[in-house]
Amino acid sequence: MLNSQLFLKRYNSLHITPKINSFIQRLFSAEAEEKIEIPKRIHRGPTDILRALEATISRDPTAAHYKYHDDPYLIPMSNMGKRTFAMAQESGRKAAHWIRKEHADLFNHREADPVIKAFLPVVSFNEQSDITEDNLKQVIDDVLVSEAQLAYKLLKDKGVDISEETRQALLELLCYTNDTDILSEEFIEERWFRQTTKSKEKQRKIWKDNSLAEEIFISIENPTAETYSAMIQGMCKYFQVDKAWHLYEESQEKGLILTSDAYSSLLRVVNFLKESFEMKWALTEELLQKMNEAKVKPNLTTLNSALHSVSTMGGGKNQKDLALKVLKEFKGLGIEPSLGSWYYILITFCKERGPISTVLHDIMPEIENKEHHCLDLSDTYFFVTAMDICRSQLNDVELGRRVHKLLHFGNNYNLIGDSYKESIYYRHYFGLMMNNMPFEEFMQNIYNMLVPNIYVPEPGVMAEVLKQVDLNGSVEYVAQLWSDMIIFDHINRENLIESILNILDSNKPEAESNLIEVFSCIAWDLFKRLEDEGDNRFNKLRLTGDQLGKVMILLLWNKDFQKACLIFDKLDQEQHTIVGVPKIEALSMFIDSCIENKMPSRAIACLQYCSDSGFPEVEELGVKIHKSLTLDENNLAKLTKIAGNLS
Amino acid sequence: MCFVRTTAICENKSTTVFYTNVSEGGCSWRVGMYTLALKRAVLPRSSNYLRVCAKSSKPEDTSSSSSSSSSSSSDSDNTKDAKPSNEQKLERLNTLLQDLIQSNAPGKTAKLELAKPKGREFKKELDTNDVTTKTETAEKEMVKAVKDVATDLGGDTKQTESELLMKLLNPETSPTSATNLMDIMKGMRIDRETKTAEKSRAEQVRSILQTAKSRISKEGPQPERRMKRLPQHIQQKKEIVVQKIDLFGGEALNIFTNKSELTEVTQTKTWQRLYERDLKLAVTHPPSNYFQQLMLWTEQEKLWKFPIDNEQGLDEEKKVDFSKHVFLEEHLEPWCPAKGPLRHFMELVCVGLSKNAYLTVDAKIEHILWYKDYFESKKKLLKDTGAILAEREAPKAVQ
Repeated sequence: MLNSQLFLKRYNSLHITPKINSFIQRLFSAEAEEKIEIPKRIHRGPTDILRALEATISRDPTAAHYKYHDDPYLIPMSNMGKRTFAMAQESGRKAAHWIRKEHADLFNHREADPVIKAFLPVVSFNEQSDITEDNLKQVIDDVLVSEAQLAYKLLKDKGVDISEETRQALLELLCYTNDTDILSEEFIEERWFRQTTKSKEKQRKIWKDNSLAEEIFISIENPTAETYSAMIQGMCKYFQVDKAWHLYEESQEKGLILTSDAYSSLLRVVNFLKESFEMKWALTEELLQKMNEAKVKPNLTTLNSALHSVSTMGGGKNQKDLALKVLKEFKGLGIEPSLGSWYYILITFCKERGPISTVLHDIMPEIENKEHHCLDLSDTYFFVTAMDICRSQLNDVELGRRVHKLLHFGNNYNLIGDSYKESIYYRHYFGLMMNNMPFEEFMQNIYNMLVPNIYVPEPGVMAEVLKQVDLNGSVEYVAQLWSDMIIFDHINRENLIESILNILDSNKPEAESNLIEVFSCIAWDLFKRLEDEGDNRFNKLRLTGDQLGKVMILLLWNKDFQKACLIFDKLDQEQHTIVGVPKIEALSMFIDSCIENKMPSRAIACLQYCSDSGFPEVEELGVKIHKSLTLDENNLAKLTKIAGNLS
Repeated sequence: MCFVRTTAICENKSTTVFYTNVSEGGCSWRVGMYTLALKRAVLPRSSNYLRVCAKSSKPEDTSSSSSSSSSSSSDSDNTKDAKPSNEQKLERLNTLLQDLIQSNAPGKTAKLELAKPKGREFKKELDTNDVTTKTETAEKEMVKAVKDVATDLGGDTKQTESELLMKLLNPETSPTSATNLMDIMKGMRIDRETKTAEKSRAEQVRSILQTAKSRISKEGPQPERRMKRLPQHIQQKKEIVVQKIDLFGGEALNIFTNKSELTEVTQTKTWQRLYERDLKLAVTHPPSNYFQQLMLWTEQEKLWKFPIDNEQGLDEEKKVDFSKHVFLEEHLEPWCPAKGPLRHFMELVCVGLSKNAYLTVDAKIEHILWYKDYFESKKKLLKDTGAILAEREAPKAVQ
């Protein structure tokens, strides 16, 4: 009724409204008065169509990552498994590369037209090869460091003159890579899983002294500003700071104008050049002054280097003011901070042992709802640090959600860095949400969403989840968590096993609840898995007597007497290797079920065990056995021996 | 929750192993104290041990839930029930334990303090050591804390201290019952001779434990199944005052004052290129779907680019006109007879080649020239069979 009225109303209004009327007329009139404008061609790049198609796909958290989905049977779940799988793929790729390199002659046929360069074997030189400067240029372009070194040596041996330009390019290559080969572009997985060692550990001198780079530098008679810059940049990058400073002074004496990158790299190592806060800051200012005098335009790298050195200076409140001043100064120059700059601001303001700073609240409006691009290598540190601060310093869910939203805005997820950073990011996100959400909601919206395809909780995180289960009494999740723990290979963690058993033991479900069965399954599975592991395994986890007792209780709740017997047999037989004894409750429960199942000899064995363990309830239990079971001579004698004269 | 197990390994009378398993709970330090008391009991001069005995032996002590020693009424009933039936056994055990204490205790303690390699067989002893040191520190800390408080309060510090200690150890007896530390000590000494031997150590431990248990049950029944907690913040949210920081509001350094004069210096080109390569690789992650995979391959130039163009990348071929591919007869003219089966054959070859899209023009010409050489080598045979005309007519054919 109401519907039809509504329809009538609409129908009427359609006829009444003149605007719509004219629109309908125009729709049906044959004459098209409007001029057709052909839109201008938009130039599309080679991957634009693919990109557009790709934009229609969003990540499905219930599916394994693309690289794992080839064979559903082999999809890895644990962190180790994922890494091993990906690395195995990568090593297959590496093997192929190796064969192509070893048997280069077999791969020189030109099957495809146009030729695909990526499939051709890499050039290699030896003493006999006819080598020219072009070859050298080529290997420098392809970033093949050792080939470039070899080519340079061969050219020199043959007395071929190398142009200034090529020599400079080679010097820069060597300085950038510190004379070592760098990972080929092809090995994306390796780069993704490579553990970026903490930047603090990396900060020691790793520059190779007397290397080819230095040799080339010496051989150049009139080093230009670029030559000096390359050397300074290289030495600063690999923390040969003293020599770098020496070269800097030398170039200043000669009145050369260095590149902004050279200044930036010097700014980055200010920390190593001077001792106290004041002197470090003075040097920073001096370098910036020098840049100004030389009329060198600073760039984003300069900003980030300056912020980096401010963040490492120490100096309390002062430091924060300086960081803001630097920011303002560069803003004045039209240099917008990148995510990396904000990362440095964050670590300057939010020190682990300092007062809590809410600077992230002020940073977020600057970066929110924008797609960010990688403009500086430090950009990839932002998200993981921001989430860390949200969790451990501010404990602020709202802010955490904002950071998370920003991460998933556009292609920002690329800035997560690598698998290690991603994992830490999610660890913090997980922890933040877990502590600030109702547990059920957390399990549904966060846990089930992220685990196991996006994030696999580490044992420590799992322990926290279990703690929450215990606190909330949400035992219905234990089964799920236990199967996850098996998949993630956590069952050898003593603390996890202990807390699982404690949770189950201290949360007895109601008699008719099916949880009783679930509990007993978990307990039995736990016991079986640890038993079957084999003795040769290093660090095999052994259940303590108390834990075995708990397993027994859980089994007996479900009336699994046979299984409980197996547990008791283990307790009894390995009395001297098992640490601790079960609680008397467990043992008396076992005796009760022995009575129920009419197993006098087992009951007496258990009584013997109780007595060996020095429980005072022995007599009580003995009386009980005596009363409830009809015992034969033999058993009666045993009973009297254990519990004394009962009659 | 926690229990103490005492075992006397009799076949080797020199070792007595105590080990405690303190699994969980608020009373862990208290249990620790018991352990300590037990440990000290090994030493004959230990006073703690004596106190334990002294207290538990006073039946009139109605403050049954005193934490450290006295047994609850229900428990003492329990022991009474047990006593007559087991008197003999207990006596034997007690004397045995006494023996052990007197004869072997010093050696035992020395043994306990030795550092030992970690190993399965030492585990029990190690455990004991751990617990002991822990409880010892806990006790020390407690005593120290009490002392601090006493000195802070001023006045008769000794008095305050003893009162506090009393309160801590016997929360429900009034502090007036023991006026100072000395009194407590005295009480212990008096009871020494009368009751020490009557109870075995295992007994004492049990009674202590039971006291603890009954205390817990008295304080309020432990809920079997914990109440489901209402959703709430587990960690109390620290009150964080968000202070607004104006990121760009501060002063500038005022170093770069001449913005217009600053110029872009020529950068180190290769360095720059390598840096950009690194930046690109920093955001190049394993592809997460097939389109990304295709994009990656396209960027690595392993795939044709979109839009698809059949002649993409065929730069060499672009220089050659199609007519060169199609009209190949001109290459026959210099050598092939103008007519006859050979000419016919070669024309067919040319038709075939003109339709081949996979060979370059050079390859096609090479193909034709191969036939030329071939027929040249078979000239005699061809002449004999009449496939080509006789010698004198040959020049004509060439024309």
